[in-house]
Amino acid sequence: MTTGPLPPARVCPSCGAPVEVTDSFCESCGTELAAPAISTPPAGYTPECPVCSVDPACPPAAISAEGYCESCGRKVPSGRDHSELDLGLLAGVTDRGLRHPRNEDAMALATTDTPGGPVALAVVCDGVSTSPRPDEASLAAAQAAVRALLTSVRRGDEPAEASLTAVRLAHQALAKLGSRGQAPSATYVSAVIDSGAITVCWLGDSRAYWLAGSGATRLSTDDSLAEEMVAEGMLAEADAMASPQAHVITSWLGADLADPRPHVARFEPPGPGAVLVCSDGLWNYQPQATGLAELALPAALTDPLGTAAELVKFALDAGGIDNITVVLAPFPLAPLATGPPHPPHRPHPAASDLTEENPP
Amino acid sequence: MTESGFTVDVDQNQYLPEGGRDVSAIVTVTSGPDAAGLSGPASAGGEPGSAEIIIIDCSGSMEYPRTKIAEARAATAAAVDVVRDGVWFAVVAGTNTAWPVFPADGSMARADSSSRAAAKQAVAGLRAGGGTAIGQWLQLARRIFQACPAKLRHAILLTDGKNQHESSEELAAAVRQCEGVFSCDCRGVGTDWEVSELRTISTALLGTVDIVPDPSGLAADFAAMMESAMGKQVADVALRVWTPQTATVKFVKQVAPTVDDLTGRRTSAGPQAGDYPTGAWGPGESRDYHVGVEVTPAGIGQEMLAARVSLVATSPSGAEVLGQGLVRAIWTDDEALSTKINPRVAHYTGQAELAAAIQEGLEARKQGDEETATAKLGRAVALAHQSGNEDTAKLLAKVVDVVDVETGTVRLKKQVEDADEMALDTRSTKTVRAKK
Repeated sequence: MTTGPLPPARVCPSCGAPVEVTDSFCESCGTELAAPAISTPPAGYTPECPVCSVDPACPPAAISAEGYCESCGRKVPSGRDHSELDLGLLAGVTDRGLRHPRNEDAMALATTDTPGGPVALAVVCDGVSTSPRPDEASLAAAQAAVRALLTSVRRGDEPAEASLTAVRLAHQALAKLGSRGQAPSATYVSAVIDSGAITVCWLGDSRAYWLAGSGATRLSTDDSLAEEMVAEGMLAEADAMASPQAHVITSWLGADLADPRPHVARFEPPGPGAVLVCSDGLWNYQPQATGLAELALPAALTDPLGTAAELVKFALDAGGIDNITVVLAPFPLAPLATGPPHPPHRPHPAASDLTEENPP
Repeated sequence: MTESGFTVDVDQNQYLPEGGRDVSAIVTVTSGPDAAGLSGPASAGGEPGSAEIIIIDCSGSMEYPRTKIAEARAATAAAVDVVRDGVWFAVVAGTNTAWPVFPADGSMARADSSSRAAAKQAVAGLRAGGGTAIGQWLQLARRIFQACPAKLRHAILLTDGKNQHESSEELAAAVRQCEGVFSCDCRGVGTDWEVSELRTISTALLGTVDIVPDPSGLAADFAAMMESAMGKQVADVALRVWTPQTATVKFVKQVAPTVDDLTGRRTSAGPQAGDYPTGAWGPGESRDYHVGVEVTPAGIGQEMLAARVSLVATSPSGAEVLGQGLVRAIWTDDEALSTKINPRVAHYTGQAELAAAIQEGLEARKQGDEETATAKLGRAVALAHQSGNEDTAKLLAKVVDVVDVETGTVRLKKQVEDADEMALDTRSTKTVRAKK
């Protein structure tokens, strides 16, 4: 453990008892402190058929376990179509987009204090559409990973080590969901942001970027056929992205890939900027770091939630062909506010439900 | 593998264009290596839960040639030899009436070495004489089965002639009463029987129909049918199709191993659901079904459950769901997605058309309409070739001279053996399995 001076003492938001900054749970009442924020359906969310619930001629029908209306057969929103998470130090927005029937992306965020200062954690997973139950896969992976990261970072593990532990536990969570033949699968990208560096870890084609006025750069490289073709000098990036195989990924998390080889990269920002973690629903429409920096800055430095929502809107306006997830964290991190923040969760109807394309 | 030992896989293109209504899916049902012990003691295969009746034609024509009745006796004996210990069995003889041959009191016997010997002795005494009233034979089998506690009930029916001594209405009524009571494989020996007549019976009673042109082939065929029947372990399995309120089931067809249209066999299974009978299942058995549903279109990007297809075992204690698959519809404006034809759906659509073309072509030929016969059988030749259905292609080549296999250009043969034509007719519904 540490020998340095401990940060100032805190109190439990639930019972007011003093707690140590390294505590995961309140020693007196057991409340989870600084619980991760996850893009799950909000507590108490009851799915309701969007068609039958507004048709007076239609009796209220049950919703099947698979999420379909037992009367009209319509796929019922799962409560994950759109969600926004704001932890102050970082924030994220995920949206179903305009073309997909459900949101198969998931995100999980957390913050914690350590002797070395505050740490922000972000995980984004994109369910592989060709696998069974991709929405469950992405959520299970993000959930398992953020908890593992939080435990590991609080324990004082190096960010790279914490990242590899988290991806391993996420893989185990997915292995439990399926078998080799029926393997729910997802892409994976995590970012551990501390006072001096950003450590990213990934499998597949969800990405992390460093956004700044100058020196904006991509922090991850895709596990995709397109990227491999570019890396081998076979194709220019623009041509590779236009090819039908652009989105064929070569690595992922799932029971059908016995031994995933996650990549880890560490980046020390030379000055202030913002970390962007996102799914391909965003970068499809702007793959360049400089272009994304122009879209996000300077607003992302002071308003990560509002800017993440703006980037999602940018992708929707550009076509919204895929699910979109955007997480932003200004760097350097601000000190954590006293008292663990309560993760707010604002469920909204998906942006696509508000367009005229869909019948009421 | 699900807990029940059955798997239900759905193969489809779930994407529809804007306003699209037609959803088509191939549902593959496979029973596990050990389907026994599923729905109680009634399902134990080859165990006391099974009952077999052999129905043997003893009409006067079975004497011409004399070998026919002799081979029928030998075939019945061969089938009796294959009945496993403990299985209930009986032998029925039919003319313009029907009577129990073994046991003579019209009950069923438990198979063991002595009951098998007694049955074979009774069969050896069978003589031919009299008419043909198949409805009477089926009714007697039904009464014998119904007095027996076994749930897996199967019959083998052998005839050599047309149903001449009762009306077709009487036969149809008898078949209706037997539906759901027992399954029946039908065999026609020689060439004086009616393919469509036996096919009507075997289809309604969820069995097979085939020709045994030479009486000497009967024993091997009977033994094989009985072996297959002994392998069945789960009785009374239905395909239950749930659809949304505004949707309509257009058709439900078994498409492998043979084409069998089940659309008209629907019985209601509560609101928005209907059951289609599939008969009995043995371990490791796999069949494909083609399900067509018409749905009310929803907006682009919307998803609908077009059908939920379950495999249901019915027993006195209620219905047990053995497996389930989902047929989906998603509306998209991406034409690359919505115009893609699922290869298995395409394959089985072609196999069903092949069976229909053969039956219509042979019927036209019988009516003397050579033009239609040439066109239909030509189309069948092309379809059999394209789908790699070599067995059917060989049978077709005995009825037509193939000029060009690609375009299906054919000439009707002047001389066709009756047996070849009947073999083509009875086997027209056999399909080639589509690769997954």
